Amino acid sequence: MTTARPPRTRMSRLAGPPLTRRAMLGRMGAVAGAGLLGPGLLAACGGDDSDDTTDTTGGGGDSKALWFENWPGYIDEETVGLFAQASGLDFKYTEGFNDNASWFAKNQALLADKKSIGPDIVAPSSWMAARLIGLGWVRALPLDKIPNAANLVPTLQKPTWDPDGTFTLPYQSGMTGIAYNISITGRELTSFADIYDPAFKGKVGMLTEWRDTVGLTMLLLGEDPAEATIDSAAEALDKIEQAANDGQIRQFTGNDYMDDLASGNFAACVGWSGDISQLALDNPDVRFVIPDEGGLQWSDTMALPAGSEHVDNAAVWMDYIYDPENAARLTTFIGYNSPVDGVQDVLAAGDDAQKALSESPLLFPDEETLSRLYVFANLDEEAETAFEERFATIIGA
Amino acid sequence: MATDRPPEAALGRVGRWSLTAVAAAGFVFLFIPIAGIIAFSFNDPAGKFNIVWKGFTLDNWRDPFTPGPLTDAMILSLKVAAISALAATILGSLIALALVRYRFKGGVIVNLLLVLPLTTPEIVMGSSLATLFFDIGVDRSIRTVIIAHVLFCTSFVALTVKARIRGFDWSLEDAAMDLGATPWRTFSRITLPLITPGILAAALLSFALSIDDFIITLFNAGPTDETFPLRIYSASRTELPAQINVLATIVLLVSVAVLILGTLFKRRLDDA
Amino acid sequence: MAADDEGDRTKRRAGFVPYALLSPGMIWLILFFLVPLATLLKTSLSAKPSRFVPDVEFGWEFSNYTDSLSTYSEQFIRSFVYAGAATLLCVAIGYPVAYVIATRGGRFKNVLLGLVVVPFFTSFLIRTLSWQSVLSDNGPAVFLLERLHLMGLLDAAGIAENGRLLATHAAVIGGLTYNFLPFMILPIYVSLEKIDLRLTEAAKDLYSNGWQAFRKVVLPLSLPGVFAGSLLTFIPAAGDFINAAFLGSPNNSMIGSVVQNRFLEQGDTPTAAALSFILMAIITVGTLIYARLLGTEDLV
Repeated sequence: MTTARPPRTRMSRLAGPPLTRRAMLGRMGAVAGAGLLGPGLLAACGGDDSDDTTDTTGGGGDSKALWFENWPGYIDEETVGLFAQASGLDFKYTEGFNDNASWFAKNQALLADKKSIGPDIVAPSSWMAARLIGLGWVRALPLDKIPNAANLVPTLQKPTWDPDGTFTLPYQSGMTGIAYNISITGRELTSFADIYDPAFKGKVGMLTEWRDTVGLTMLLLGEDPAEATIDSAAEALDKIEQAANDGQIRQFTGNDYMDDLASGNFAACVGWSGDISQLALDNPDVRFVIPDEGGLQWSDTMALPAGSEHVDNAAVWMDYIYDPENAARLTTFIGYNSPVDGVQDVLAAGDDAQKALSESPLLFPDEETLSRLYVFANLDEEAETAFEERFATIIGA
Repeated sequence: MATDRPPEAALGRVGRWSLTAVAAAGFVFLFIPIAGIIAFSFNDPAGKFNIVWKGFTLDNWRDPFTPGPLTDAMILSLKVAAISALAATILGSLIALALVRYRFKGGVIVNLLLVLPLTTPEIVMGSSLATLFFDIGVDRSIRTVIIAHVLFCTSFVALTVKARIRGFDWSLEDAAMDLGATPWRTFSRITLPLITPGILAAALLSFALSIDDFIITLFNAGPTDETFPLRIYSASRTELPAQINVLATIVLLVSVAVLILGTLFKRRLDDA
Repeated sequence: MAADDEGDRTKRRAGFVPYALLSPGMIWLILFFLVPLATLLKTSLSAKPSRFVPDVEFGWEFSNYTDSLSTYSEQFIRSFVYAGAATLLCVAIGYPVAYVIATRGGRFKNVLLGLVVVPFFTSFLIRTLSWQSVLSDNGPAVFLLERLHLMGLLDAAGIAENGRLLATHAAVIGGLTYNFLPFMILPIYVSLEKIDLRLTEAAKDLYSNGWQAFRKVVLPLSLPGVFAGSLLTFIPAAGDFINAAFLGSPNNSMIGSVVQNRFLEQGDTPTAAALSFILMAIITVGTLIYARLLGTEDLV
């Protein structure tokens, strides 16, 4: 492989000191390294002005801006445009909020420093909101600028996760129960014990949202999830762990249980009411039921992170969607329980499709169903950590 | 020289046939999910998840670049990949040049430092970088993603270019200089054309690596930054639109086109 | 690792030039590879008093290591078994592919190599999701196998479980094999390509049949490629979690799943850091042993 170098002739020595070329290369190397990298990095700096996360107190230069980061699939096609028109605001709506725990871990450092995380409004689930309020990482809502907040349904006023009702306004509420595919189960399911039926071994799913999974199991075992402690939940946790080890539970999922139901991977799973009301439109075999022993109720809330800049604009948005007409439009698409009073009446007065929705027990549960719904207890950091650790072991992480 | 008869010719037809069969099966294996991706880009999904075949439609292809989070994520991925590939190619090529063309102390250490990132699991690289950024108070953002991508791409580039240019006949350089060429002319007329193919190949490799990177990006992106893989991962928990399949198929077609064009171009160059 | 070739006479003597060329890249590597490893080490020996607040306190907490090793030993073992199985499968599938391309490719060598690489221009998440769709209970794979009455066989062999293909060990191993196959094919191809044809001719003359010639001459010469390919397959596979997440069940989780959960969801950075270092240590030791066994040191 190595070829001998031709001996240096005297001519080449006359051409100048051998260092010249090496010096050239060396200089070029340095220049290339620094100079060419520079524009590259600068381009990177300029390229991400749409998601600058540095702290700018005082609202920056753009006071007509508003950024709401919400869960995916939680808004219809018209509302964003209609709101932007009606309010004249520069409204940015993104759907990056898809898991409470990972959102928290990602934003932890910024939130702890009270820096802006980008969005002005975020959509934590009620328990995450409770944690944020406890840590002081959210701002108080300017309720005086949200007159429509009076339309909040009475059952959600001053909830356990926000006792003063000053930090959050619910975006949508929902119910947790059993979602199943009747063509695979072959029968109707009525109790949470059906999830543990050996006939469905390997075709059952549960949620990584452990408050739902553990809560329903606690109800099956006669415990009250609203008063849950790590001790009162011990039996339920053991039961879930046993089912996972036995292979009864195929997977612990997030929202993607819907695709497993649709593709036949799941016969039954823990599910959320709104998802099924959407899925059932295309696939009538998919059913939802609140177990006899009881189901869970939860809310996804709107909250203002500590570093959020456009608080008054946020108030405009919240006021807008707490108007029953706008709330009805949202609910028609989303299929969950609206926190706004009067939506049922608006829908009942609408066209046939809307009338049908106003009578849907999934969207507007009756008194009997409501009496069987529980809200999982508010936990302090120690209890929450204990639950998280135990559940992480169960799901194999 | 002698004909190119592989040693297993003596194995007999059965041996050769089964070898080819295994290789063919390997190729089929490589393309099964690709076939699935392309097929499902024509699917009319029942709900939010494009997982079950419902019906054929061309609708998804009518406007594949509709503005939305997926398209934005794709554009971001391309931007990040372009910048990272450029920086990594420069850094890595300089290292490769130094290693191949110069004798100096510390060559072993340099080689070691180049190979270590390749033998470190992505999850370790990702979490360690994220920990560093947190420690020194730098917020995660596109910048940190680019830093991470340049890191692992530089190693690939350096090793790829080094392998490519190792066997070259460098006496050409000396000959040019003996004939009176200036150092710069020697470099631009002799050296650069020799090493360019290797550098280009390494640059393309970096680009591909950067576009597809998931784990390291996951750990180091800002909370609202989403590259294409990140967007798919986060969206996959709640929806799998057919647009993903369409965009993926487009990327596939473009890369096949580049491959074919490149081969044809090279053939013409070789023939000429 | 490539041998130090200071004796190469085509090289120029040192001046400051090579160091100037090296410095930008080396500084980058040191700053963003070595230094982070040091901070990770520091974090792994720290404690995090609160889940919610990101700060850690350094305190020589060796318990992070011992606790992690005992708590997650199941996932560690499973990860190495899965990665090992995937690597073996990659050699079994990849070597023939590389061999056929190198020896029979002819004019189409580059096209064939390109075809090996082209699928990997789609994101690997999409490819794994596609496998999830193909292998799903109502999907084409299960359908075909049941029609061919092969499902019972697969159940008995432990590949399928109760008539399903997903949420099994086999599915995760299959996914890992698929995702890293090109990393095995390309290095083997490169080392096969380098073999001088005259050697294979001589081998054929020396040995009575093709298989002997292959075993005694071609195979040993291609070992550097197999070595490089194995490393490039095993190491990322051992740290992966995507395949387990999409194709497996809770009983198939890998150590990567734990690290990801600890770091990105629980915010338990010290444990995640300790697990990362344990993983790296085991991989490094394994690599050294493997290199000894194969008797090869060249990586490229």
